[in-house]
Amino acid sequence: MGWLPWGSSEQEGGVKKTSGGAFESPSRTNRAKCYEARDAFFECLDKNKILDSINSRAGQIATREACGASDVVFEKNCAHSWVEYFKKQRVVNYQKEQTIKRIEAQGGEIAPIEAPQLPLRRG
Amino acid sequence: MAPSGNYIQGAVRALRPSSALGRELEAFRTTTPRRTFASTQRPKTTIATRPAYTSESSCLLGARNAGSKERIGLVGSSRKPLLQTRTFSNTAPRNKLKTIEQVKARNKGGPFNLTAAILFICTAGGLYAYLTYEKERMARKRIADQTKGVGKPKVGGPFDLVDQDGMRFTSDDLLGKYSLVYFGFSHCPDICPDELDKMALMYNKVVEKCGPVLVPIMVTCDPARDNPAVLKEYLHEFHPEIVGLTGEYENIKQTCKEYRVYFSTPPNVKPGQDYLVDHSIYFYLMDPEGDFVEAIGRNFTADQAAKVITDHIKDWEGPLKKKDRWA
Repeated sequence: MGWLPWGSSEQEGGVKKTSGGAFESPSRTNRAKCYEARDAFFECLDKNKILDSINSRAGQIATREACGASDVVFEKNCAHSWVEYFKKQRVVNYQKEQTIKRIEAQGGEIAPIEAPQLPLRRG
Repeated sequence: MAPSGNYIQGAVRALRPSSALGRELEAFRTTTPRRTFASTQRPKTTIATRPAYTSESSCLLGARNAGSKERIGLVGSSRKPLLQTRTFSNTAPRNKLKTIEQVKARNKGGPFNLTAAILFICTAGGLYAYLTYEKERMARKRIADQTKGVGKPKVGGPFDLVDQDGMRFTSDDLLGKYSLVYFGFSHCPDICPDELDKMALMYNKVVEKCGPVLVPIMVTCDPARDNPAVLKEYLHEFHPEIVGLTGEYENIKQTCKEYRVYFSTPPNVKPGQDYLVDHSIYFYLMDPEGDFVEAIGRNFTADQAAKVITDHIKDWEGPLKKKDRWA
């Protein structure tokens, strides 16, 4: 990937991955690298006002054009499953925020999350 | 002033048989007239006193001896006030309060004064603190008891797995200590690492307060990738004390079922395949008898969770002595 404008030796290999694209070892350092790459990629998406980089074809094309480079770094430093997960999570988180904002704008209240309800009694 | 009229009438009636009056007056003299807390318990005195302020105050204002004279003044008011006043003027002053103004000022606050206020506040504060503590303790007890005996939830149960050193680890190894069971997998993108970091914090806080009475456990939902060696390397970064459990897919599935943990690991994965495992993300607190106590969700901070756990540990009144139990 030498043609990348800001390609460096660090990205040559990225993290060690299995043939299937998973981390060989999801250690703390590897996770940190992945999160860093993810944050850089999301920053690029924010700058270009792209929310969805995975679910829609239009979003995929826009992402490739605007943030192709950081997307490649992202893929290099994370397991493929993580990349998909984070990209989808971005959309879900945004929708969640919007829903909360909408409810609050309508005067509703978001109740604090209660302690988990487990089946404590028969039936 | 209707009530005062009644009092006067009553006083007049009492006057008619002279012996009765004598007894009445004797009662005034013998009962300590000094005003105390209990002054309201002597209705006769107050009944006789109050009208005196209104009807007889002009004639008694100058009198130094307000204690007994003033009271008698009322009685005399219906007949010969001056004579009555003089008759009993020899009585030694029995009240520290000298003037009507002082008495009025004294009576104004009723039975309340600084000592009473302080006592009241202290008692109220003490009761409130005690009752709050008791309420919280009962709430915890209820949570813990709900999971005991009849109708207990079937969370947790026997399992037979392998720890991060490749040694057999069964549910019996948990008996005698509290355990904090978490289900996860090493290839988890973001939630599990955060939760495991939290678990390490929780564990340290609990151990700091209660000693080594808690075993932190992570059971993998992804036995295909998480063999003992992987778990050992992975968990060591979080806390060296965390026990990592893995095993055959069927054993893991059975354990997850017992703990009511949902997970979605594909049963047949090829080596090197990249996938995520969806799973429940609660910490399960189990007591030294292996019974489920409480589930701690993601909404708890490490501090809050540590408090929940330490409180339950402090509540524990198992049949065994602490030193035997946690030996």
